[in-house]
Amino acid sequence: MSTLEIKDLHVHVETKDGIKQILKGASLTVHSGETHAIMGPNGSGKSTLAYTLAGHPKYVVDSGEALLDGQDILKMTPDERAKAGLFLAMQYPVEVPGVSMTNFLRTAKTEIDGEAPGIRQWTKDLSAAMKRLKMDPKFATRSVNEGFSGGEKKRAEVLQLELLKPKFAILDETDSGLDVDALRIVSEGVNRAKEANQFGILMVTHYTRILKYIKPDIVHVFADGHFVKTGGPELADELEENGYDAYLPEGADSESALA
Amino acid sequence: MTNEATKNVKEIAIPVADPNDPYAVPAAMPSSVDHAARSFDVNDFPAPDRKQDEWRYTPIERISEFFDTFKPSGETQIEVSMIDGTPLAEGVQLSQVKLGEAPSGTVSKPNDRVSAVEWNSGATATVIELSGEINQPVLIKVHGAGEDLDAFHLVISAADKCHADVVVEHDGDARLAEGVEITTGKDSHISATFIQEWDKTAKHVGNHRIHVGEGASLRHSVVTLGGDVVRIRMDQDFGGPEGDLNMLGIYFVDPGEHIEHRTMVVHNHPECKSRVVYKGALDGKGAHSTWVGNALIQPTAPGTDSYELNRNLVLTPGAIADSEPNLEIENGNIVGAGHASSVGRFDDEELFYLQSRGIPETEARKLVVRGFFGELVEEIGIPAISEHLMDVIDRRLARGESDAMAQVLEDK
Repeated sequence: MSTLEIKDLHVHVETKDGIKQILKGASLTVHSGETHAIMGPNGSGKSTLAYTLAGHPKYVVDSGEALLDGQDILKMTPDERAKAGLFLAMQYPVEVPGVSMTNFLRTAKTEIDGEAPGIRQWTKDLSAAMKRLKMDPKFATRSVNEGFSGGEKKRAEVLQLELLKPKFAILDETDSGLDVDALRIVSEGVNRAKEANQFGILMVTHYTRILKYIKPDIVHVFADGHFVKTGGPELADELEENGYDAYLPEGADSESALA
Repeated sequence: MTNEATKNVKEIAIPVADPNDPYAVPAAMPSSVDHAARSFDVNDFPAPDRKQDEWRYTPIERISEFFDTFKPSGETQIEVSMIDGTPLAEGVQLSQVKLGEAPSGTVSKPNDRVSAVEWNSGATATVIELSGEINQPVLIKVHGAGEDLDAFHLVISAADKCHADVVVEHDGDARLAEGVEITTGKDSHISATFIQEWDKTAKHVGNHRIHVGEGASLRHSVVTLGGDVVRIRMDQDFGGPEGDLNMLGIYFVDPGEHIEHRTMVVHNHPECKSRVVYKGALDGKGAHSTWVGNALIQPTAPGTDSYELNRNLVLTPGAIADSEPNLEIENGNIVGAGHASSVGRFDDEELFYLQSRGIPETEARKLVVRGFFGELVEEIGIPAISEHLMDVIDRRLARGESDAMAQVLEDK
């Protein structure tokens, strides 16, 4: 049983117009086996929270902690966080030319586990996982994410989630850009991985449609850099009905677009 | 203008383009890419000066010893064998000729001051004649023996229908002026790989003159991994239709080093294909690379398919990469003539992505650089060399990191 505790997190980025404060005291506790949906309007800081936890250098932590089983991951490099058991499925997975998927996955697996996977078992696991995600075997020989369609990139993220077996998975808008079939395949992959490894999920999303496939235990509304409301799955239904307007700061444009 | 001068002006009949087929008539302009003199006489070339286009990127003060004819030391050691160390196979003939005796001096002519100096300073040429199918690469080891100026002239001549690979390795410390002539016969398939893995103090000026036979393919690879100043200029043309030239280059430039490659591809026959792909990584303060890729498509070369590309990866701050593609197309009836050139640094997003999957930054950098060079190294097509290259690149990266760290500490 693992716990991820985010305590009063304040984060800024440096823009050409100066410092922009994005997270303003975000706190959240997630346990293994739980699925949390983090919903909120555009620009509320949901993705910043995800990337800050993963250690993206653009986001500067002013104060707060993120304890994974008592250890503050914010003091770790991104690779150390991954080794500690954190996984971020990105909204826009990055292309790495010249590095084959196979080589990348095997290197990542070796680093995470601290030892190289047995070649026979690994090959078997990889091809089985790809098959379940309905990925063409030739993807393994292509460069990481290079020339992949949006849907293929998301499948490749879930493939990594299945193979790397983290303690906590952050899914950043994993549903964006997916058609219905791809959404189903990707969601099934996430559910399968969770079933197998009982990790905790932080699912950052703008829309409610993915919640039909990946059932949240807890739903949070995130607005203006912090959590403003927490409830059960019924909160998602309420958001579906009423949008985020109630949570937007005074005078902000309503650009809420629930699907 | 005086009357005298006016009299000497020749009248040129400029063809008029047909508006329905504007590319039918070759351009009436003289080539601007290839105006350089070609001569065996040193005095036909002015002393290099950075105001001259072809020397503008070169730190000429560091190689001025190569600008006037000198007495070669003869200390450079040359060994020729098959790549596994065995004696030369059947079909490989090794000989020495006096410079100027055929086949030396038969492939074009020197094209700049230093190549003319090399020609006039040296006395003999080492000649490798290839015929038939040779099943393992011929290895020519050139070991520099120190700071005394030396000259080395190599001729690689492949017969019609020959299949062969040649590897030329340079190492040690040297002040070497080198001339290489490569001529390949009709329908031959040849690869020639030149590796410069000099000591940090070595200086090397090289000149390759290349003639690709009718229907022949030549893969010409240049790998430069070290040396204080290395400047290699390559001049090429075709001997008939349907020649196929593939020029590959890899370079890794350390702090303070100047590594320069100049390729000149001339399409003078129909239906020939050329590819020039040079990639380099630069590491640290004062690392300087230059790539100048010239391609000329003459009116006599319809159906030409040419492409040139240069990419530079700047690993640490303070390095400079010059990249200059020049294309001159004098024939409208071609398949393609493309070029691409870039200078970039490590992509932070790529590194973050790899790190977020548990791969430490040093390892992530290695993966990215291996990826950058990987395909090209594969293409060199000689496994022993590919493996060696990847090892060397890895070692360089490991060292580059500690250098970068040292610099960070210094800066503080």
